[in-house]
Amino acid sequence: MKIREETISVGGLAVHTWIGGQGDPLLVLHGAGGNRGFTRSLTQIAERYTVWAPTHPGFGQSGDAEWMEGVADLARFHLWFIEAAGLRRPHLLGASLGGWTAAEMAAMSPGAIDKLVLVSAAGLKPERGEILDVFFHSPAELRELNVYDKTTIPEWDELFGRAPTPAELEIAERNREMTARLGWKPYMHNPTLERFLPRVTNRALIVWGREDRIVPVVCGEQYRRLLPNATLTVLDTCGHLVAIEQPDTFARIVTEFLA
Amino acid sequence: MKLYYFSEMPHHEYPDAEGDKYPSLRLAFPNRFFDRGKAAANYQRYLTEYEFADQVGYDGLMINEHHSTPSCVDVGVNMTAAVLARTTTRAKILLLGNILPIEDNPVRMAEQIAMADLISGGRVLSGFVRGVGVEQWWANANPVHNRERFEECHDLILKCWTDPGPFRWEGKHYHFRHVNPWCLPLQQPHPPIWIPGTASPETAVWAGRRGYTYVPFLVPFDIARELFEFYRQGAAEVGRTVTADNLGFLICAVTADTRAKALEAGRHFVWRMGPTLRGPIEWFQPVGMRSKAGKQFALKARPRSLAQMSYDELVAEHFIIAGEPAEVADRFALVHQKLGCGHLLLEAQESRMDHPTTMRSIELMGAKVIPAIAKL
Repeated sequence: MKIREETISVGGLAVHTWIGGQGDPLLVLHGAGGNRGFTRSLTQIAERYTVWAPTHPGFGQSGDAEWMEGVADLARFHLWFIEAAGLRRPHLLGASLGGWTAAEMAAMSPGAIDKLVLVSAAGLKPERGEILDVFFHSPAELRELNVYDKTTIPEWDELFGRAPTPAELEIAERNREMTARLGWKPYMHNPTLERFLPRVTNRALIVWGREDRIVPVVCGEQYRRLLPNATLTVLDTCGHLVAIEQPDTFARIVTEFLA
Repeated sequence: MKLYYFSEMPHHEYPDAEGDKYPSLRLAFPNRFFDRGKAAANYQRYLTEYEFADQVGYDGLMINEHHSTPSCVDVGVNMTAAVLARTTTRAKILLLGNILPIEDNPVRMAEQIAMADLISGGRVLSGFVRGVGVEQWWANANPVHNRERFEECHDLILKCWTDPGPFRWEGKHYHFRHVNPWCLPLQQPHPPIWIPGTASPETAVWAGRRGYTYVPFLVPFDIARELFEFYRQGAAEVGRTVTADNLGFLICAVTADTRAKALEAGRHFVWRMGPTLRGPIEWFQPVGMRSKAGKQFALKARPRSLAQMSYDELVAEHFIIAGEPAEVADRFALVHQKLGCGHLLLEAQESRMDHPTTMRSIELMGAKVIPAIAKL
């Protein structure tokens, strides 16, 4: 498969974007950990869909966006990205922070997207339990908390197996800073989002790991209840990083849903 | 050189083994270990010590504020200032300081400091600080905005004190459409402003530009000199002349009738160098709180953390000064000679240093040390 990287200008801001695959466009929004590009699951999904995976402003190799005040800004920005990249009603998939962003985009402009996939999405206050305060933990602790069982993860060594380079550490710090900008308070949720989700009649798939220690699985149930046309798939023995922890299963259910 | 008395008002009233069970004494150590009865008595005791420091001739009384930690239960610097404004008569009251980035209402802060200044007869020195990371958590204030909010909060307080109201403030972080405080400081144009520093070159430059009194806390002499250089750069940018009155320095100090007694008492300062600073880096320096330059300078300023140093090393490197009055006066003179500062802030009580020891130290400072260094 041919994968390319492009810099797409959105309102003058340079957005580093991974593009690859074939078929209808699928916009993929990454989580707080940053844009990992074409991991195993995304590569499988790209066999059927053309994946567009932009790096959020303030993250990785994209331009600065210190002016952004929250995920609503990021959502408006990515709606603009859809136009700037010339995508027409793409499917939209977002994980964690990117899942929250995707939910906001759908609520703002349901006609701008086709189907919606939310994976371990932040954005709603859990009815029971809490969203883990990720800023209170070290990156090393978070790496463990993000998954249920790292020994079963095929890409673990590839993704986390070696000490990060100074440049990678700097990007990780930048990603954390931008995440704090977007989600510090109210912490990782928007109290009014639930009022707008019923507007989203798009077909939606919600995917969660039953053992998610970052955003509790009850949030998946809440999304399913609030979105009029949604189904929820919960994967056993799986933590927060669903697409990394069970890449083959994840790729299969996403591909089936989008078909 | 002027001397200032300072206690963090510690609440070291629990078994240390209990504190050791938690990742940090700050934020995580459960407040079921807070002893209300002892706290009530300690506040009386600490305030008595401040009042005695005023009586024996200290030039100033420094107070500070922290939250969610037994290391400092002075939880409201303006509150303490109001008390001391009434119960002391001559010393300056140095608030070092109000934690600006976590303040949501700078107008109220401007009023409170003004009120303390009025009650004290114009004795307030108004310090402004960025705070340690723990305070960001306590207030749930976004650390990525720390510096921006520090500066904007400062600007609004200054405007409250110096511009006639009513006026409107529509900033980035603060929004007030009807500002017209009916409480203005006695000192005009406003109380002197003090800024502490430990590692941030930007803060030193910022303070220098404005001519504020700048005080490095517990850093080696060469680092303090380097920070003063940043301060001078800032001052030079706007054509200000830097005098000793612009520069201060903070150390721990205690004196007693014998050297042995003083060295014994000085051991209480070790608590504030290690145990009370223990904890995850994310709690003390949350994401985005420090600039890259600040981080780099911090590494240089503290090649070894204070926690890693033995008591003898802390004494040898002048982080702690403990001795008979004559020796203490000599050491203070050395600080003055090395740094050329006009203000020396003494963290003069810590941990479980008891009341009689503290009072005797205050008394001897007043009787023997302050006269000895008055000419510096």
